[in-house]
Amino acid sequence: MVKLKMMLVDDEERFLQTTSKLLMKKGYNVITALSGEEALEKLKSHNINVVILDVKMPGMDGNTTLLEIKRLYPMVEVIMLTGHATVESAVSGLQSGATDYLMKPADIEDIIEKAEIAFAKIQRLEEKIRSALMKKFMKSPREILKNSEN
Amino acid sequence: MLKKEDYIKIRKIVFTSMLLVPAIPFILALSIGYYYFTTSLEKSTISNLKRVAKDHGQMIDAFLSERKSNISFILHSYKLDTLTDAGMLQNIFKKLKQEFPAFIDLGIFNQDGIHIAYHGPYELIGKDYGNKEWFKEVMEKDQYTSDIFLGYRKTPHFVIALKKNDKGNAWIIRATIDTFMFNKLVKDVRIGKTGEAYIINKSGILQTERRSGGILMGKSENDLKYLNPNTAIEFLNQDKKYVYATTWIKNDNWMLIARQEKADAFKAVNKASRLIIYISIAWGICIIFAVFLITERIIRLLKKMDREKEQLNQQLIGASRLVELGEMAAGFAHEINNPLQIIQSEQSFMELNLSELIKAEQLKGSEFIDELKDSIKQIKLQVFRCSKITQQILKFGRQSEPEKKEIDIKIFIPEIIEIIAKKAFVHGIEIKQDIALNLLPVYGDISQLQQVLLNLFNNAIDAIIERHGVSGGELIVKSELKNNKDVEISMSDNGAGINPENLKKIFSPFFTTKSVGKGTGLGLSVCYGIINNMGGKMEVNSQIDVGTTFTIFLPAYV
Repeated sequence: MVKLKMMLVDDEERFLQTTSKLLMKKGYNVITALSGEEALEKLKSHNINVVILDVKMPGMDGNTTLLEIKRLYPMVEVIMLTGHATVESAVSGLQSGATDYLMKPADIEDIIEKAEIAFAKIQRLEEKIRSALMKKFMKSPREILKNSEN
Repeated sequence: MLKKEDYIKIRKIVFTSMLLVPAIPFILALSIGYYYFTTSLEKSTISNLKRVAKDHGQMIDAFLSERKSNISFILHSYKLDTLTDAGMLQNIFKKLKQEFPAFIDLGIFNQDGIHIAYHGPYELIGKDYGNKEWFKEVMEKDQYTSDIFLGYRKTPHFVIALKKNDKGNAWIIRATIDTFMFNKLVKDVRIGKTGEAYIINKSGILQTERRSGGILMGKSENDLKYLNPNTAIEFLNQDKKYVYATTWIKNDNWMLIARQEKADAFKAVNKASRLIIYISIAWGICIIFAVFLITERIIRLLKKMDREKEQLNQQLIGASRLVELGEMAAGFAHEINNPLQIIQSEQSFMELNLSELIKAEQLKGSEFIDELKDSIKQIKLQVFRCSKITQQILKFGRQSEPEKKEIDIKIFIPEIIEIIAKKAFVHGIEIKQDIALNLLPVYGDISQLQQVLLNLFNNAIDAIIERHGVSGGELIVKSELKNNKDVEISMSDNGAGINPENLKKIFSPFFTTKSVGKGTGLGLSVCYGIINNMGGKMEVNSQIDVGTTFTIFLPAYV
């Protein structure tokens, strides 16, 4: 079973520290980033499944970061963390491809729950991709060769 | 807002300008009219007098010259021998009297002034007139017309004497004429009430009777000074003022005076001026009254406008303050959420650590652990409470566009009522609805409007419970068409009511009368903001122990 690997992105360092410690204690693999830029940087080297992304950040804000992540890593699920309780900002996030949104202050249990759901979604999606590939390979095993050639 | 002194000043300016502006042309027109009227009347009065004087003067002159020609005719038609014959003279006199009945007598004088023939009522033959003035004058100038005198006869008369030179032998014919005829002619002149005419000679002796007093032959001293000009108008400054017109007659020996009392002559002028004065006074009173009323009206309107402006200003200030407050609160809430998030995480972390410690039996069971657990739980509760507050603040201060669409009020309201019907029923509240069917749709975010109405319903239910407990509550929801298009929704409860002090602050954020923790004081301010965003208005009316009515006006969506 593949383990859920999360990344927390927020400009509040203390929040990142405590929350990541908490999540690690609960058995999750967590890394943190203090800005959108850092998050994109870390995504390059880490295999992240779910990003918990703060909307309001100095520099690159949450929505821009979201768009970048979705463009570069479509398989990464993003959960928006908003201090603003408006449905609108959440809606715009969802429209840009976020899986879900959380309102600050978010309970750790809620974060975990939403992250798990997102992760499950990824897994379902990966499963589908796998089985589609399998079918393809079953039909013509030569494809494997072709693929390996590529 | 204008001050009391400003109003007094404005009132003064309006009053005086409104009074003066029409008064100046009015007075100007009146005075010009008065001037032309009086001068033309004066002119016509004076020319009338002049005409009377001239006409009558001519008449007297004609009379005198006629009489003179009567005598002259005799003088030239008959020889002296014929005239000195008593019978013939009587015959001639008879004929003369037929011609003109005022002849009294007829006499003939020789060049020495001896009366040589006479026909008349007196015995005058043989009398010597050689020294008399008239005789001397006729001898010198060939003719003489006397002033009027009484003579022996004691009746007013005058004489005309003419001289004839008959081959170096001069003789004179003289006739006496009663002045009755021309006295009447002059005396009968009537102009207005006091206008009259009379004749004086150069010595100021009245030659005709004067109607206003002054007997024949009496002296009229005052008139003497008018003897100089030919035709003149002057005013006599005695007890009465007169307008005069004079003309010389009888070769500048007599003066005919036509005069009229000034008061009488200018009666029409005086009457007109009195009328003008009355009209002016009446006009003045009317105008002052009207101007006063208009000024008061203007001031009243001004005050009303000023008040309305002030109200509008206050409303605007109130509205903008609400918006500012909302924005500030939203920013504040947003900032609070970040530390809240940290507290939340820390709390979770503490809770986790504590439970792990307990699990690992590193902490010995004691009451402190329970207290600690309780405290940690409390932190979580309070963070939750804070987050609820910030969420509400953020809702109030939201700036982003809500999802707007057409809302059919007549379907929408019953739906809302259905939601709260159960809660109302539980508390013994009867809901009456009166929704007009001709309502036009409004435009807005349906969930927001829902929030507004639910908020109002909840407040109403709370107020009813406060006053009535669980029975006797009544909630009336009304919706009707206003101004043919706008929608008015009113919600009246018979609850506890709101005191006037609180009513003023009812839409202010964070204002609440509920106990701590029961309400954030944001509900109504959020409602207010929503309705405002929809282009509507929200009003409240309340009376303690009677009830509260919230009224929402929404523009129709067309």
